[in-house]
Amino acid sequence: MSFNVYLLSILFSGVFLIITLGLVRKKHLKEQYSLMWILVAALMFLVSLNPSVVETAARWLDVKYAPSMLFLFGLVFAFVLTLHLTVVVSRLSEKVVHLTQEVALLRHEVYRHDPGNREGSASGEQPAI
Amino acid sequence: MRVLAIVPAYNEEGNIDQVVKSIRRAQPEIDIVVVNDGSSDGTSRLARRAGATVLDLPVNLGIGGAVQTGYKYAEVHGYDVAVQIDGDGQHDPRDVTRLLEVLARGEADMVIGSRFVTDTGYQPPLDRKVGMKIFSFLISKIIRQPIRDTTSGYRAVNRRVIGLFAREYPTDYPEVEVLVLLHRYGFRIKEVPVTMAYRQSGSSSITLWRSIYYVAKVLLAILVMLTRPRTGSVFHEF
Repeated sequence: MSFNVYLLSILFSGVFLIITLGLVRKKHLKEQYSLMWILVAALMFLVSLNPSVVETAARWLDVKYAPSMLFLFGLVFAFVLTLHLTVVVSRLSEKVVHLTQEVALLRHEVYRHDPGNREGSASGEQPAI
Repeated sequence: MRVLAIVPAYNEEGNIDQVVKSIRRAQPEIDIVVVNDGSSDGTSRLARRAGATVLDLPVNLGIGGAVQTGYKYAEVHGYDVAVQIDGDGQHDPRDVTRLLEVLARGEADMVIGSRFVTDTGYQPPLDRKVGMKIFSFLISKIIRQPIRDTTSGYRAVNRRVIGLFAREYPTDYPEVEVLVLLHRYGFRIKEVPVTMAYRQSGSSSITLWRSIYYVAKVLLAILVMLTRPRTGSVFHEF
């Protein structure tokens, strides 16, 4: 019974690692962030291979029920990660605002020097650059 | 004194022509820049045809981002004064004269066209009235000066404030936050009475739930701003 669970989690870790690497290959995930996920996959792999690691760690930390420790760490990790991501999103949206404003100002300059294009911009179409 | 009127407009094709023309009629010597906040209608075309300079934002930024674009334009082109006028026709451009006089006399760095300094008959809906009262009470305490109409978008600022706004301007609902921001930079604010009409066409972006979000968000922003160092924008480092 337990053999199946561990085999499953080894498989899961492996698939997770492959998916992560695949996303990096296709440039859907930046190397910067993928490093963290590769580390997570490696940790899961180690724990699956050698479940006594969890038991040992639980004993050190005086946790009575070892799996609850996994949940705690998992949850804290998820929270910290989400907070970090919202910070990243805030920064990005700030950048988008300034870029959008710059684009509007520069577009205006372009059309000012090339009035023939003016109607194109007036109807809200993208300039053909 | 070179003056620029900044008119933020989002899907205001029903009003914008009239707004631009009435500014030109009432204040022929000031330049008009309409900031088209990613409208999906003919706002941009109609504003241009009415004789305004138009800045087209490729995506919708909301009122704060749109107005700041106008301030950036004012700074780049060296205007002495910028006056914000809403694109929905609620502001009477004849009142601009009164706002500019205060700036010209050097009595303030920002002048607010206020609905409540004298009774102009303007009656806001109840939920907005409550919000306005809260803001007015709080802001007056924080900046130690009575401000009766904290949410008015009808404002004129001098060159130094243009420079600040080009760098730093709140998003979402900027009107109230700006008062605290200016106070922290040591700028002087003054209110003058104006008459305000109800919007002529289209609908206001503010609903009941948004009003609640509005009040909560602005209160938080003010609290945070008070704890922030003077030059500190959280996002300055890039």
